[in-house]
Amino acid sequence: MKIVGILLALIGWLIPILALSMTQSTGARFIACLIGIAVSLIGILGVLNKAHLEHAIWKRG
Amino acid sequence: MARRREMKLSNRKGLCLWMTAAMLLLCGLTVFAQAPAPAQAAPAPAPSGPASAMDAPLDIKAAAPPSADDMAKGDPGGTKTGTVSDVVAADTKKGLTLADVVNQAGQNRVAINFVWTLITGFLVMFMQAGFAVVETGLCRAKNANHTMMMNFMVYGFGLFAYWVCGFAIQMGSAGPYGTLGGGGAGLGGEFAINLFGKSFGLWGTHGFFLTHGGAYDVAAMVMFLFQMVFMDTALTIVTGAAAERWKYIAFCVASVFMGAFTYPLYANWAWGGGWLSTLGSNFGLGHGYADFAGSGVVHAVGGVTALAVAIMIGPRIGKYTRTGKPNAMPGHDITWVLTGCFILAFGWFGFNPGSTLAASGNGALRISSIAVNTMLAGCTGSFGAILYMWIRYGKPDASMSGNGLLAGLVAITAPSGFVNTIGATIIGFIAGILVCVSVEFIERVLKVDDPVGAISVHGTNGLWGVISVGLFADGTSNYGGSWNGVNGSVTGLFYGDAGQLVAQLIGVGTLVGFVFTFSYVANWIIDIVIGQRVSARDELAGLDIPEMGALGYPEFVLKPELEVEPAMAAGD
Repeated sequence: MKIVGILLALIGWLIPILALSMTQSTGARFIACLIGIAVSLIGILGVLNKAHLEHAIWKRG
Repeated sequence: MARRREMKLSNRKGLCLWMTAAMLLLCGLTVFAQAPAPAQAAPAPAPSGPASAMDAPLDIKAAAPPSADDMAKGDPGGTKTGTVSDVVAADTKKGLTLADVVNQAGQNRVAINFVWTLITGFLVMFMQAGFAVVETGLCRAKNANHTMMMNFMVYGFGLFAYWVCGFAIQMGSAGPYGTLGGGGAGLGGEFAINLFGKSFGLWGTHGFFLTHGGAYDVAAMVMFLFQMVFMDTALTIVTGAAAERWKYIAFCVASVFMGAFTYPLYANWAWGGGWLSTLGSNFGLGHGYADFAGSGVVHAVGGVTALAVAIMIGPRIGKYTRTGKPNAMPGHDITWVLTGCFILAFGWFGFNPGSTLAASGNGALRISSIAVNTMLAGCTGSFGAILYMWIRYGKPDASMSGNGLLAGLVAITAPSGFVNTIGATIIGFIAGILVCVSVEFIERVLKVDDPVGAISVHGTNGLWGVISVGLFADGTSNYGGSWNGVNGSVTGLFYGDAGQLVAQLIGVGTLVGFVFTFSYVANWIIDIVIGQRVSARDELAGLDIPEMGALGYPEFVLKPELEVEPAMAAGD
């Protein structure tokens, strides 16, 4: 799951960059940025962090 | 078995050190593999023919310089010191010419800018002391030496790595520096790729070891010093989030890596002529990514790296109960914390106004506005935090008030050169509230342990600062008539340019998506090779003796450790 989280974070970064070539519209680029940031955050906070928490030190014992 | 394990660990440490050495060697080889720097352009030949007015000797008596007798009487009013007599003639036989006076005026402007940039750099360097005492004060006494030593040595590790290759990667293509007399002209090499028919600059290729590619230059030295202390600020943010459980050797390697690669890479994209700075000229997005003094480049890079490390090494023993409820682990010295906050606020007057790299010419007198914006945002940041804590918990929390001040300062760092005082006040106030909400969210929802609130102060508010440029920039700044190669002033959404906000959001996406991932993967490798976290036994004992060999407070009697589950204490 850690790898999935990292990949999501990277994909989120690529979304607004790809949008630069796909549209000239500022509004569309704005939305692409928001989607990209959301995907990255889901990858980091929702997937990667959760994967680490599964083995958190306070859950042991 | 234990011996074998020890040997294995020792081998891993050795391997890691070899990897670092190889990395630095690679950088060294890169220097010698490069083509020699282009020869400096020859100065324009002097006009021939009859002596022009510029070369004609001046009658300096007309300027009525004070005589030797006048000067011998002293100058209590300061009206006789510094006159035409102090302008140096190039040819003393010929005497003073108009050309001498004009050249002196030009050098004076550059000298003012040199001195301004250097002194503000010295102020930023002193911020390391502020970070050291803030972080140490917020940690427990049993880890004081360890926390202090991380903050102390990060300066040296970062500086060394930045000298070897960090500066070249960041600024190796940013010359010549206009406000510094056009120096650093040899630093003009950027490795770029072609994407969507546009050039995407990725990293600089000149200036390794500060000797190659025209880096042996007085202006380049000024730039190095100023940029180096910024880089070190980013590095020291991580030590706060990972405090009280970070293995010292892992900290050393991670800091060298960050100073050599992570920070310079993003800084190149934003400040060194890289692809983020050209979003305006290439794609029509405002003036490209605009980050005046580094909310994103310095603070958010440090903050997201801190998040990556904090997620990886996990919370301190005793921070969470078995049900996941957080326990308060107060720091040992609130007086240090608030003193450190004041030191940082003082240093910030170097951070933001110094980022003009000038005090003379090119709209640089806006330094006064930048300084006031900095002051106001810090002030309203502490207002926001104290109000939030007072209303929510019934008491004005001291450490969060300090964090509110820092959050306001972090948030105004990017927009300080582009906004007015109303904008600065709002940005700071929002930052003060945001830092409190972020600390609660990270601690309670994400269950990421951040002993000093570094992720919230620098990460969350660094990102907010980047966004706020795209909202509040009022279009009145004028630093030489353009920014990032786009004519006119940086203007945010509230003043009519939505494209600027998009450029800022692409910067935010890069910080969250790329910088986090880059930092996480690098620290993951370090974790695999040498391990990032100390043993539970060392953590419970306090890291001063096991990691550093000496207590921070040898004559103090420390309170016994919290009662923790035996299984936790035994597990490594």
